[in-house]
Amino acid sequence: MSKNKLRIGVYGLTGCAGDQLTILNCEDRLLKLFETVDVRSFLMAKSDNLEEELDIALVEGSVSTRSDEESVINIRQRTGSLVAIGICACFGGIQAVFTEPEEWAKQYEQVYGNRSVSSNAALQSRPVKAFVKVDYYLPGCPIHKEQFLALLSRLALGSTPEFHRAPVCLECKWQENDCLLNKNVLCLGPLTTAGCGAICPTCNLPCVGCWGPFEEANCWSEWNLLLDKDYDRNIIMQKMKSFSGTGFIQFFNTMKKERT
Amino acid sequence: MKVIKLEKKKLIPFLQFISQERELWAPVKKNDRIIYDLIEDFTCIDMNTTRTLLPPKKVIIPQQFNMFRVTGLGYESDYSHAVKKILFGIHPCDIHGLLILDKLFMQDHPDPYYIEARRNTLILGLSCWPDEHCFARSTNTHIIREGFDLFFTDLEHSYLVWVGSSAGDDLIKLKPEFFEQKPTDQDIQDFTYMQIERDTSYKTKINFISMPDLMELKYNETFWEKMGRACLGCGSCSMVCPTCNCYNVIDRHLISEETGERRRYWDSCTLCEYSEVAEGVNFRKNCADRLRLWYTHKMQAFISKYGKASCVGCGRCLLTCPVDINVLTVSKSLQGKDVYAYWNRLPREASDDKSSK
Ligand code: SF4
Ligand code: SF4
Ligand code: SF4
Ligand code: SF4
Repeated sequence: MSKNKLRIGVYGLTGCAGDQLTILNCEDRLLKLFETVDVRSFLMAKSDNLEEELDIALVEGSVSTRSDEESVINIRQRTGSLVAIGICACFGGIQAVFTEPEEWAKQYEQVYGNRSVSSNAALQSRPVKAFVKVDYYLPGCPIHKEQFLALLSRLALGSTPEFHRAPVCLECKWQENDCLLNKNVLCLGPLTTAGCGAICPTCNLPCVGCWGPFEEANCWSEWNLLLDKDYDRNIIMQKMKSFSGTGFIQFFNTMKKERT
Repeated sequence: MKVIKLEKKKLIPFLQFISQERELWAPVKKNDRIIYDLIEDFTCIDMNTTRTLLPPKKVIIPQQFNMFRVTGLGYESDYSHAVKKILFGIHPCDIHGLLILDKLFMQDHPDPYYIEARRNTLILGLSCWPDEHCFARSTNTHIIREGFDLFFTDLEHSYLVWVGSSAGDDLIKLKPEFFEQKPTDQDIQDFTYMQIERDTSYKTKINFISMPDLMELKYNETFWEKMGRACLGCGSCSMVCPTCNCYNVIDRHLISEETGERRRYWDSCTLCEYSEVAEGVNFRKNCADRLRLWYTHKMQAFISKYGKASCVGCGRCLLTCPVDINVLTVSKSLQGKDVYAYWNRLPREASDDKSSK
């Protein structure tokens, strides 16, 4: 294989493999893409995988086991850049639903008892960035084809990926939807990173936050707005927790302090 | 300006006839929302709507579009958004909105993408009746004397039609037999009464005369901080405002196709990224500063430069902002009035208090 082609590896930690599947789903365009880069490792797509030096590693899934941790450290050591793809890699995903470390220990005991787990111990799920440096994030559940191709193209051309940093609401207005919050529906659009094209509100369903926390999300205002609309604290908490992984941890911590 | 008359039942056949070689865009109802859309079924046009969700700026400059494509051979501009169109059903306030965009995009810094689309779009205005959120009377944008090719005033059984340009006159000439050249005395009387009644139907009023001074005098009032705490930074207010004009540009390369494209998107100064510069430095990291900018632009800076507010009283921000930040609540706060609004009852975060001590 040509030496100056970009060496790429696609890896899955703990996740549903939906992001890798989305990459495969690029079909025709993927074939062309695979001609322009050198795919060294992509277990879902091929069997002759080489675990050597890489220019770009695309990592799906959260770190939820000891072996996930080992893999991600190993990948980091041999790659130029590392891209977290999908909400699990970016924020921990559903499996990292924010639980207290003590609470997690209790749950662990309920599941495994006192038995020592020999080969692959479970860890409290964390996003990739909790273990190694992440260069770029491509959120989504699963990721969006077009955004993936745009990101990889940018990296292949030696520039940095670029996204319009906005919440889902912006795309929701582009789609000309009446705001669900104004109809008292619990919509997490303002707290969620844009990128999906606001598909849920466009189908009259509230956003549940699957693209992951928006970096400038105003949790305090949304939280109180929903209380103002008579939503129960626990319901709001559950909704905000379901896809945000560790993304809103700081907010929940301050909330806890305020209650005590 | 010539004024002629059209029987109501002839309007749709007229629109059908004149749009044979142009796209016709008009308000239609789609899943409970009223939006400007490309018309295929002419019976769907909503003649009685008060306002559309997005303003007609979307017909000139779409929410997102390609500016050009790059291939190995060079680059090709893409003006596919600027095909020949007729924009029908646009109300006086929204025509004023376009006139404001014209100042921004056609004068000091001509924007070819705007200009091309604007030149290719014929404006066919339609009279309207205010609801409780309209305050175009206060911004003096409830009537229109320029900026249209034809303007249809609804007089129950017929329309009085103002011919505002030679392009408008050419449209009439396509079907002259549809029109009566002279309105009757009765028509003129009906029109006069209608105008007076409409004029007194604006229930929401804002005194804009004092706004530039109040913006200056109340620049540091605490209500800005309160609004800043509540603002979700969602950008909705800018998307729905007929005079908001900012955009973002992103280059997308597709190595798989060996092409690239430059895409242009509507943007908003209420988004944090908007005021970010190199090295991640941000001039308006604080949301209150961003809101102050939005309102300074509408109610002060634009007035200094162009002699009128950059708000046309359409009421869209009143209906859109989930946390009640809008021209009405902001102007009331500037006037020192009590405001019943979510942002005004949002408690402070305990952590905020700590950090400010
Ligand atoms: S419906 Fe949801 S996503 Fe759309 S504007 Fe409202 S809060 Fe935002
Ligand atoms: S849940 Fe929200 S972020 Fe996910 S697809 Fe739906 S609208 Fe988009
Ligand atoms: S500021 Fe509000 S009322 Fe004024 S033009 Fe914009 S959306 Fe309409
Ligand atoms: S003022 Fe309202 S509509 Fe505008 S960005 Fe803030 S929350 Fe969104």
